[in-house]
Amino acid sequence: MSGAPLLAVEDLTLHYATRAGEVCAVDGVSLTIEKGQALGLVGESGCGKSSLALALLRLQPDNAQILSGKVLLDGVDLVSLSDEAMRAYRWNRIAMVFQSAMNALDPVYRVGDQIIEALEQHVPSARKQLIERVQELYDLVNLDHSFIARYPHEYSGGMKQRAIIAMALACEPDLIIADEPTTALDVIVQDHILREFGNIRRELNMSMLYISHDMAVIAEVSDVVAVMYAGKIVEYGTAEEVFTRPIHPYTQALMSAFPSVTGEKHELATLGGEPPNPLGLPPGCHFHPRCPFATDICAEQEPPTVRRGEHWADCWNPPEEQGDD
Amino acid sequence: MASYLLSRTIQILLTLFAFICIVFFLVNAQPGDISNVYAMNPELPPDARERLQSQFGLNQPLWQQFLVYVKNVFTGSFGLSFSHYPRSVADVIAERLPRTVALFFTATVFSFYLGFMLGKIIAWKRGGWTEYATTLGGVTLYTVFTPWFALMMIWLFAFKAGWFPIGKFLDPVLWREAPIEANTLFGRMMLTALALSIVVFAVFLATTRLRISGARLIQLGSLVVAVGVMIGIWRATGTGNLAWDIIKHMVLPVLTLTLISFAGTMLLTRNSMLETMREDFVLAARAKGLPEKAVRDKHVARNALLPVVTSLVFSLAFAIDGGVIIESVFSWPGMGQTLVAAAIAEDLPLAVGAFVFVGIFVLLAHLAVDVIYVFLDPRIRY
Ligand SMILES: Nc1ncnc2c1ncn2[C@@H]1O[C@H](COP(=O)(O)OP(=O)(O)OP(=O)(O)O)[C@@H](O)[C@H]1O
Ligand code: SF4
Ligand SMILES: [Mg+2]
Repeated sequence: MSGAPLLAVEDLTLHYATRAGEVCAVDGVSLTIEKGQALGLVGESGCGKSSLALALLRLQPDNAQILSGKVLLDGVDLVSLSDEAMRAYRWNRIAMVFQSAMNALDPVYRVGDQIIEALEQHVPSARKQLIERVQELYDLVNLDHSFIARYPHEYSGGMKQRAIIAMALACEPDLIIADEPTTALDVIVQDHILREFGNIRRELNMSMLYISHDMAVIAEVSDVVAVMYAGKIVEYGTAEEVFTRPIHPYTQALMSAFPSVTGEKHELATLGGEPPNPLGLPPGCHFHPRCPFATDICAEQEPPTVRRGEHWADCWNPPEEQGDD
Repeated sequence: MASYLLSRTIQILLTLFAFICIVFFLVNAQPGDISNVYAMNPELPPDARERLQSQFGLNQPLWQQFLVYVKNVFTGSFGLSFSHYPRSVADVIAERLPRTVALFFTATVFSFYLGFMLGKIIAWKRGGWTEYATTLGGVTLYTVFTPWFALMMIWLFAFKAGWFPIGKFLDPVLWREAPIEANTLFGRMMLTALALSIVVFAVFLATTRLRISGARLIQLGSLVVAVGVMIGIWRATGTGNLAWDIIKHMVLPVLTLTLISFAGTMLLTRNSMLETMREDFVLAARAKGLPEKAVRDKHVARNALLPVVTSLVFSLAFAIDGGVIIESVFSWPGMGQTLVAAAIAEDLPLAVGAFVFVGIFVLLAHLAVDVIYVFLDPRIRY
């Protein structure tokens, strides 16, 4: 990997103020994404994936607060930027494909105009050029030009998804955050769009943060994988390393929930036990109440980081390192 | 869209018919024989009585009277008014209806605009004393006893300050030697207002559609120019001072109506805004890097507008209520006052006519709101 990474998140912590108390949704997260790389962020529902993604764009809800940490994009710390300066980064440098892409289009405007709205904000030019750009984008995501002037309710689910991807690509951002973009679609459409999206991204050499709770999807799209549990990254490594030699018991459990990561998909089988209550996280390793390998120390002290080259995980009892084969 | 409007129109015609039937049966359900009230009225000369009897079919059975009545409604002949004898009901209504329409329309536009703007602002800046003061003030005005408030307005602005006339539609002294009928002039004023709004609307639409830079300035400029031209024309015709007299009489009732009704729109807008702010497309608009003002106006407020417009229909009933009171307190000779006066004077033809026309007016307002809604919400296409 050459030079400084495109995105470096350093020790990011985000809390929500709720009536029941403080929720620590993102707990000292650090990660990097290189230019052109796809990072898959995987974890159960509620582990803080969307909170992390929104914090990168500083779009966290009003009751959330970034307590510490940095989000460095090409060396510029987005957390400390003024609101005005931050706006220039949104969409132009970091675009987003939302978790519920179905509702991310404003129902009262034509879809083409909504894409043009983003373009006008960051790369203003004559209307004719803007329309040509939208046509280019529609070609890229395989949508018919006649749909540019249609309203969102005239699109099918898959077409909306394509339009949203076109919108995310509009300003040629350096990084696209895709937060479970295809969950509302049926599996075949989902697969198809996912593959196309991956190809376009690689062709345009954009980086991506791909968020999902579905190991199979993560395996399909990512170069590097980060596994998140209760607000923390618990394992990080190349996709190959993580999927063939997982260190963290949680990762192993996630993978057994998807028996054939590269083969056909199965329903998400729930892991044993309940996801942790964000208001009362267990001490030590947050995973210990559910972990088959837990020992006494797991409930008392935070686990150390086990490193195997670039690949690491936080665990007291990692499996034996297998010999290279 | 066309089929939607067609089906709405048919629905509204059916509602109108039901309303007309209800008016007939309400009138006939009054104690005493209705035909006596009509025919035995001592103020009625014999020839008029005979005409009335044949016109209403008063000597026929009830169901035939009903048919005659329906026919009369649809041909607009409600007979002669007792209290305005020998003027026909249609004539009295033709004089009064425009005054009510003008009063209501202006007050509705103002209160909607004011309510929507304020609702938008207090939803965006939650908490703080602005929200508190606006909400408290609005709700106080919304729930205040209307006649008392109207009298306070007259006492304050007309009696104490002397800025506006105390009531009525015009100043009789000024109009004694007027070269023109008040109604003709008023008709022209309404046409002027219509022309003005069409011009302003066209400029507004053109500047936003064509994305001309400095649209705001052009809009404002065209408004000023259009108003200037209108004033010039009125001056040239020599009736400007008469028109101004009517306008002066309108200010206070319009202001009062606006103040007692804007809070409804304001609170609805606020809630609708808060709801819309949770939508994903709002987050998407922010993620696109749009300025907060664009997020608020172009996306949140634009979508929050839809349920508020729908609610306009329901607030019409409130407006009619308030309108009758306001017209009475301000001695504004419109439909509300006519209705009350006709009821007191037992002027049945006029009361029935006024009822039916108020009904038609309300239903047309419904239809207008439907048409507006179709333009605001592209999802309506069935
Ligand atoms: N606005 C909020 N106020 C308070 N708590 C919140 C808020 N948003 C999220 N949370 C809490 O923060 C934690 C992380 O939520 P987040 O949405 O980031 O999870 P996620 O990993 O994206 O889950 P999913 O897979 O369901 O999208 C959860 O416990 C959630 O309940
Ligand atoms: S630290 Fe202990 S409880 Fe946590 S994952 Fe490792 S073995 Fe399980
Ligand atoms: Mg999420």
